[in-house]
Amino acid sequence: MLELKGIHKYYNPGTVNEMCLFDDFGLQIGKGEFVSVVGSNGSGKTSMLNLICGSISPEKGSILMDGKDITKEKEHKRNLRIGRVYQNPAMGTCPSMTILENMALADNKGKMYGLLRGTNKNRISYYREQLSRLNLGLEDKMSVKVGVLSGGQRQAMALLMSTMTPIDYLILDEHTAALDPKTADLIMELTDQIIKEKNLTTIMVTHNLRYAVEYGNRLLMMHQGKIVLDKKKDEKEATSIDDILTMFNEISIECGN
Amino acid sequence: MKKRVLAAVLATMMAATMMAGCGKSETKSEAKKDSYTIGIEQFAEHGSLDNCREGFLKGLEDEGIKEGKNLKIKYKNAAADMGTAGQISDSFVSDKVDLICAIATPSAQSAYNAAMDKDIPVIYTAVTDPVSAELADKDGEAVGNTTGTSDKLPIKEQLEMIRKMLPDAKKIGIMYTTSEANSVSAIKEYESLAKDYGFILVKKGISTTADVSLAADDLLSKVECITNLTDNTVVSSLPTILDKANAKKIPVFGSEIEQVKLGCLAAEGLDYIALGEQTGKMAAQVLKGEKKAEEMNYETIKKPGFYVNKKVASNLGIKVPDELSKSAVESFDEITASKKTEK
Amino acid sequence: MDFIITILEQGLIYAILALGVYITYKILDFPDLTVDGSFPLGAAVTAALITRGMNPYLTLPVSFLAGVLAGICTGLIHVKCKVRDLLSGIIMMTALWTVNLYIAGTANVPLFSRDSIFKNDFLIGIVPESMKSYVTLIVVLILAVVCKIILDLYMNTKSGYLLRAVGDNETVVTALAKDQGNVKILGLAIANGLVSLAGCVFAQEERVFEISMGTGAIVIGLASVIIGTSIFKKISFVKTTTAVIIGSIIYKACVAVAIRNFEPQAMKLITAVLFLIILVISMERKTKVK
Repeated sequence: MLELKGIHKYYNPGTVNEMCLFDDFGLQIGKGEFVSVVGSNGSGKTSMLNLICGSISPEKGSILMDGKDITKEKEHKRNLRIGRVYQNPAMGTCPSMTILENMALADNKGKMYGLLRGTNKNRISYYREQLSRLNLGLEDKMSVKVGVLSGGQRQAMALLMSTMTPIDYLILDEHTAALDPKTADLIMELTDQIIKEKNLTTIMVTHNLRYAVEYGNRLLMMHQGKIVLDKKKDEKEATSIDDILTMFNEISIECGN
Repeated sequence: MKKRVLAAVLATMMAATMMAGCGKSETKSEAKKDSYTIGIEQFAEHGSLDNCREGFLKGLEDEGIKEGKNLKIKYKNAAADMGTAGQISDSFVSDKVDLICAIATPSAQSAYNAAMDKDIPVIYTAVTDPVSAELADKDGEAVGNTTGTSDKLPIKEQLEMIRKMLPDAKKIGIMYTTSEANSVSAIKEYESLAKDYGFILVKKGISTTADVSLAADDLLSKVECITNLTDNTVVSSLPTILDKANAKKIPVFGSEIEQVKLGCLAAEGLDYIALGEQTGKMAAQVLKGEKKAEEMNYETIKKPGFYVNKKVASNLGIKVPDELSKSAVESFDEITASKKTEK
Repeated sequence: MDFIITILEQGLIYAILALGVYITYKILDFPDLTVDGSFPLGAAVTAALITRGMNPYLTLPVSFLAGVLAGICTGLIHVKCKVRDLLSGIIMMTALWTVNLYIAGTANVPLFSRDSIFKNDFLIGIVPESMKSYVTLIVVLILAVVCKIILDLYMNTKSGYLLRAVGDNETVVTALAKDQGNVKILGLAIANGLVSLAGCVFAQEERVFEISMGTGAIVIGLASVIIGTSIFKKISFVKTTTAVIIGSIIYKACVAVAIRNFEPQAMKLITAVLFLIILVISMERKTKVK
């Protein structure tokens, strides 16, 4: 279970540009939930993810993971239990290393990065098997540098890499936004498969309302640092794209744009 | 396109390398017994070192070895880089020059290192302390096929002269660069001799030109006079120090003729051209086969000369004792505008 | 022939330095100016040890360790004190100047009469007379090749993978639950260890320690790396480490040509122009994730 309690977050504190993003923000996500988060730009979606992952820290409030306070824990330590896929496909892979090396690197997460051989030969067939699931033909280009792959191919790899070792939470930060519709569908389908397979607690920020409605078992809408809509299970099943779109437009009109 | 440019650059370099290689064999056939090839290796671009080189050629000429007539000079400057110095020394050795003249300590060490097993004599100059540079042993005898001249300061004479000029002064200041081995060894000698002449030595170490101004302010607040070494960093900032000292009417003594021209009160010091000449004469002896380099002890300047700047003396209101002004090798009546130490 | 041997000797010594610069500049993407201080650091340590009668071969690992320490300091300044990369290097380079003076005792320590890794009873015993003039070359060749092979092997370990990843994409390292700062410190340590080792070898070859010998070391290192990697960019079977070594030899060849064929005053200009040409050729740098 993941809990955010009484979070206060300011940008540029102490300057004339001070901007309050979260004022007493709270959220609870239960084990096994797959939460889709929608909301306009600047509503605090990505900041929320950054708070959870530890890329930024709150001025006040606490973050609890399975009851343990992790507010002060460093980003890389939290990542032992969290996998994250970014909007930019380049963020999740090392471009000048080969596909095989990238896979081996990810496979070692949580273990010692010592002086043993970087790529364990016995694991290669496993990597090949994983890559072949993607149906992108990557399994035949294991010694190609990731830098020459397309965005979709890289994002698929990033997804594989971040979920390769046992983790509890998966954070998806608009991970299909930079892809063409067909590839996006493919990656989304793959994401869903992996989440179900590994029973991951997932938070997915997306601007694609169709994905938000079709996938996951909980739907959040955020606006100006607040949760304005929270539909779980059956409620969510009953929600259609049009409902959300209407809600979205109302918010936007309030803002005057 | 890029590949082609690369290939072109590479090819040019190869060709140049090869041309250089051919050049080598030419010079070898040229060298006969009655004409000589000398490689001059100077560590850095510097007024005093340039004077040494000029003097060296003059010294050779006095002995009948003249550039263009029976002497071919290869002059290389290492631009103060040890790696370059090493390559220059090696190139002289592979060109099989008749003699290497190395100016300043690092060049001398590099040339000696390269020529060690190759039977090419190395004559050095402007090496302050050949003993601690391991170019000579404790008794001043050569350690290998190398000898030359030292530009060790006549510190005793300098202190004696300052005492005569300023009978009441107690504290004497010196600014030096902590990374210049020559300065550090000179400071040691000053430390041991200052007491004998009733001086208390105040030393001020700096590491770069940028420190000179602040260090000068500090030093000038503590002393009654300043004396200079041949420290490269300090000497190149001499105008700054002189300005500040003049404002406080504190006399600054130099260590060589150029510094006195620039506005130092006086110096019991070196004339690098004379030092170079002395070195040139030693080289001539070696070239003519009269003596081998390893048989010659290194030499210091035969007799330091007294130089005085009368204009500075009157500005400061200091009277130069008659016995000194009579013995002056050269006295100046004006201050040369700050042109550093270059001629 | 002597001419070529000199170039190879000098090129191979500086190749060890270039391998270090390759780690910081190409792998970590960290412009590390510590090099100007850690190169003479190795030489200072060597001079201090050899004048105290230590076996010259032992100075190699000790110098390497001294460089490792210097690298760790630069890394700590950068990572823990959050000082910019370039500035951390400058701070360390400045500090090392004094450290080097303390270690060596004075600004200039000659080693003419001492044993060195190139000249000692053991070598004199085993090297036949005909090979004598090649001893230095053979020793530096062995050292450079050993450094290259160890580095290649290291780059293929798990730790090496992580090092490559941190320069490539820091986010991945954090995502792998590793502190990217520590990985950077590790990289800087290895790099400066190699640079310091090069200083150790150079001091023994020139048989002198001189405080100013590190000035411009970073330029030589960078030039070697850039020359090497741009020339062999398209040739995939040449390992980058090999390319860097060849780059260093080419650079020294250029300097040798400049020394022979141009006015001494023009040396620095020629080197600068040469460097510019090489930089322009290699303009196409790999694009990186921010």
